[in-house]
Amino acid sequence: MEAEIVRFAAREEAGSSSARLPLGPVIAVLAAALVIAIVLAITCGAVLIPLESVVAFFLHSRPLATDQRTILLDVRLPRIVAAAMVGAALSVAGLLFQGLFRNPLADPYVIGSSGGAVLGASVGMVLLPQVSWMGFSAIALLAFAGSVATIAVVYSLARVGGTTQVVTLLLAGFAVSTMLSYSSYFVEILDRDYGLGLRVLASWLHGSIGVPRWTQVGVVGLLLLIAFPASAVLARRLNTLALGDEYAQQLGVKVESVRIAIIIVGSLFAAVAVSLGGLIGFVGLIVPHLARLVMGPDHLRLLPVTALTGAAFLVLTDTLARTVMAPSELPVGILMALIGGPFFLYLLRRTKRGYGA
Amino acid sequence: MSACLTFDEVSFSFTQAKVLERASFSLAQGSCTALIGPNGGGKTTLLRIAAGLLTPASGRILLGNHPLASMRRREIAHEVALVPQQLEVPFSFTVEQIVEQGRTPYLSLFGGLKMRDRHAMERAMELADATPLRHRVYNELSGGERQRVKIALGLAQEPRLLLLDEPTQNLDFGRQMDLINLIRSLHSEGIYIFAAMHDLTLIPGTFSSVVLISPFERLRQGSPEEILKSDLLERAFRCSPPRPSTLQHSVSTPSEFAL
Repeated sequence: MEAEIVRFAAREEAGSSSARLPLGPVIAVLAAALVIAIVLAITCGAVLIPLESVVAFFLHSRPLATDQRTILLDVRLPRIVAAAMVGAALSVAGLLFQGLFRNPLADPYVIGSSGGAVLGASVGMVLLPQVSWMGFSAIALLAFAGSVATIAVVYSLARVGGTTQVVTLLLAGFAVSTMLSYSSYFVEILDRDYGLGLRVLASWLHGSIGVPRWTQVGVVGLLLLIAFPASAVLARRLNTLALGDEYAQQLGVKVESVRIAIIIVGSLFAAVAVSLGGLIGFVGLIVPHLARLVMGPDHLRLLPVTALTGAAFLVLTDTLARTVMAPSELPVGILMALIGGPFFLYLLRRTKRGYGA
Repeated sequence: MSACLTFDEVSFSFTQAKVLERASFSLAQGSCTALIGPNGGGKTTLLRIAAGLLTPASGRILLGNHPLASMRRREIAHEVALVPQQLEVPFSFTVEQIVEQGRTPYLSLFGGLKMRDRHAMERAMELADATPLRHRVYNELSGGERQRVKIALGLAQEPRLLLLDEPTQNLDFGRQMDLINLIRSLHSEGIYIFAAMHDLTLIPGTFSSVVLISPFERLRQGSPEEILKSDLLERAFRCSPPRPSTLQHSVSTPSEFAL
């Protein structure tokens, strides 16, 4: 009886939620949205750079005023590219993990990369504040290393007798991540500057893109160039994994290898994002969810849509973050939580049907 | 005539319980066989072994003339499809998207669906009478509809042998009849059927042979007339014959199947 009611309710809602739009036009619209977001981000800011002069500069190499040129090339553009890459990386990581856990509430940090990143960043902040490599600060590098190492530990903990239970993976990730986040306080006690480092660290942990060097942007771009095609291969496998491990195995999918590959690629995305922008929540949770509402659950279709939406969304949010309270700047993670939190709760209420979008 | 599936002295046990002990039987080419036995007697396990998802402790399984143990997972998937009792799917996948997954054993690592795959999907949905459901969301289907979609998913593998795990479970009488008709029509299309069946009344007339598996009896194979005998079923299912006073209103007990 109750099942009938639930099924009936599901059918009622089906009209709106199983809408499926054609892929081509959606990608075109999203690409346009990304371009508009980038244009907005280029022109807006503490110093207004008129769009005409930017276009003239790029197309006809008409010189800009020196300060405008510096702001454009060394401050705004790298930041915009970084924001787009971080947004795309977090969203695709979210998509991969939601598919892997067969659960729409998984996010890019779900198997513990955030805890490792926090500890790594604290160590970098307190012990090696001067060290940097290719433009990456010790904070970013150790955060990257921390998140990758944590995932390796979590994965080996969750692996029992040659297979991984997905729930165990989730719980181990949560436990290890929480443990590491809190142990970062021990490192912070060693801080000789009595709190100065903590403030820098806090702003980093709240997620903020900052102004990266072009070398950083290049390194991250190269990593993403490897990770995106890899996730396209994994997307088809995720569709098959939706039938459950045993069925996928029956169909000839090497479930355990695919799972390891998803964890590696997803964690690479998350760690790359962490190294550029700290911990930015909600993007990786909401964007795949939203894309699924519009496109249906086919991961192959979701992949480009998720990447583009994530990129445009973070570019816009980051622009807002540096303009709403100008000249001071809001960490983008805080803005994301303020926008994303309520939106996410709204989605949560909508998808109570049990199988999520 | 050679067999399409042969179990030769196959033993299998989970850590606690023995499920199969030196079990031997074979399904003839073109057969439509029912697998019966008490709950927890190992029907599902036997089907999973036949599909190559579980490896027996000892013994040999032949698919046609090939030992199952020496075949690659994909090769097995081209020959055998197992339709499970339950198929839980997250998100709102449509029937078409689900059936598409049945083509996985034919796809290369980077390749997508080709015309041949599309044809196989169409034919699978048509055979299982699931074509009208193609754009519906799987999670919103009724039990009978889901059963048809699961069978279409299995058929998309273009298997020679279709293993069905209690296909009529939880279906009302009308849907059970639909499913039996579906099994018959699949069989007439040249697909060999091996189905775990709960409801023994559905077996005569549809299945040409029966395999009985029970913890209390050794495995037996025979025609429905040979296997569905009250004394044998009472031993295998460990049920006592109904007392005369309750006989009239009792639910069907195996003794009613004395043929």
